[in-house]
Amino acid sequence: MLTFEAISLDMLLTLEADQLDALPFGVVGLSLAGIVEIYNATEAQLAGLQRETVLGTHYFSVTAQCMNNFMVAQRLEDEAEIDEIIDYVLTLRMRPTPVRLRLLKAPQTDRRYILIQR
Amino acid sequence: MTTDLEAENAALLQFLYACPAGLVEFSAAGAIGMVNPAAMGLLMPIAGRPFVINLFDVMDGCAPELRNMIHNFAPPQGTVCDGHRIVTGRGERSTILACTIVKLTEDRYVATLSDVTEQVARERRLKQAETWFASLLDGVDDVAVLSLDANGCVDAATPSATRQTGFTEAELLGRPLEWFDRPDRATAMPLPGEAIAVARRDGWYLHEGWHALADGGRYWCQRLVAVRNEAAGAAAGYTLVIRAVTRQGRDTADLRRMLTRDHLTGASNRAHFFETAERQRVRALRDAGSLALVVLDVDHFKRVNDEHGHAAGDAVLREVARRCEAELRPEDIFARLGGEEFVVLLPETSLMKASAVAERLRTSLAREPIVTGGIELRITASFGCSALDTDPAASLAGLLAAADNALYKAKRSGRDRVELSHPNQAAA
Repeated sequence: MLTFEAISLDMLLTLEADQLDALPFGVVGLSLAGIVEIYNATEAQLAGLQRETVLGTHYFSVTAQCMNNFMVAQRLEDEAEIDEIIDYVLTLRMRPTPVRLRLLKAPQTDRRYILIQR
Repeated sequence: MTTDLEAENAALLQFLYACPAGLVEFSAAGAIGMVNPAAMGLLMPIAGRPFVINLFDVMDGCAPELRNMIHNFAPPQGTVCDGHRIVTGRGERSTILACTIVKLTEDRYVATLSDVTEQVARERRLKQAETWFASLLDGVDDVAVLSLDANGCVDAATPSATRQTGFTEAELLGRPLEWFDRPDRATAMPLPGEAIAVARRDGWYLHEGWHALADGGRYWCQRLVAVRNEAAGAAAGYTLVIRAVTRQGRDTADLRRMLTRDHLTGASNRAHFFETAERQRVRALRDAGSLALVVLDVDHFKRVNDEHGHAAGDAVLREVARRCEAELRPEDIFARLGGEEFVVLLPETSLMKASAVAERLRTSLAREPIVTGGIELRITASFGCSALDTDPAASLAGLLAAADNALYKAKRSGRDRVELSHPNQAAA
């Protein structure tokens, strides 16, 4: 199942770039240090950014300061394992936009994911 | 294929996403049109939830004056405020924001927000040091020097002191330092013994305030208490330097009022309340005394705004502040916490006495209607009290939370009433 609610961390890791791009929700994959490694086409289009300018940057400092708090960034840092959906408001293209975020992290995986559904 | 225009757009967006200062565009009603992530990052903790839609709603708890400032700004465009400071939070881990608002059209405003908490703390220390040096470097004519014994009582006075205050040496001798204080509501004087206690600990103590003159008047001055003759680790006495501050005209008074008063109601503001309350709490703990808080919230206030407009709401808040202040002692602090919520700080007061004060305030509000713009409004408020005598271990935030809990109980059980906190619940 490749839906926002059901897609698994293992599945995200195995999907090819074009398959990730085809997903109807935003996918952001971060390294342990918070550097953007995956930024799918849906997310790039909704945020109004070009993928190549986001890849390799520190996500919570450069692109998503509004997630750099105890509700998102801190949880991805502190908790060993997360799979949770939270209601949130992002500032996509500077417009306050209600979204659902799914945070995904597992102890055996070096990459964390944030899925974003408008 | 991305066009040049698209690439430029993306670069602009990235620039705004990465901007370290908060930017918000909003309407005259506070509805947020555009907001960058830094602003959202600052607003979310204030809102306590991630749904930030209206700037005034978010700020109502800590800077209710923003709405008034914008409402009262008459020019068609221009700067509404520049670096306006907003103290967020309730007592612990207060973040201080600097807010600049520019009006673009009647219904379009842009604000910048930045976190200046660290800067404010640095400024405060710097200001103390500056005052200290200024008192040393300026002319000796306006500086009075006295000697205090180990208990903080005058044991010698120089001619400069008798000249400045008008008191004779005999009148000065034996008086404790605080005997000269002539505080008013806008100035938080140190509590008895505090100046000496701090000087003993740090070697010096610095304060600005009103001092007595022999003719019954008072003058604004800076006061430095410095430890003298430190023998075997114990202070044998202190030197008190009093420097009259000449620039005590309208400017200083206005500035002090601006820094300590709420824009709309003239009650104390949050910053002044938290500063004074924490000082009083520490003092009460040391002397095993008490300290009480009464939190009050105007009942059904939203209805007043909705049915009669914000001008009527503002008039009600002003009248509530006026009636409450008339019932209080000079040493009590009546402050606006935000929106229609106020707090009273009652030094040296037990929970039972605080409940009597709250009852008096309740009656003074309910007794007669508030008349504004030709309409009579029946206004009541609900009250919650907490105090250190029944909960000596409480922090300031804990006391406030306990009073809040009691207030909610008063709201739930029908409003227009006073409820007391119970210490076993205050821990929650």
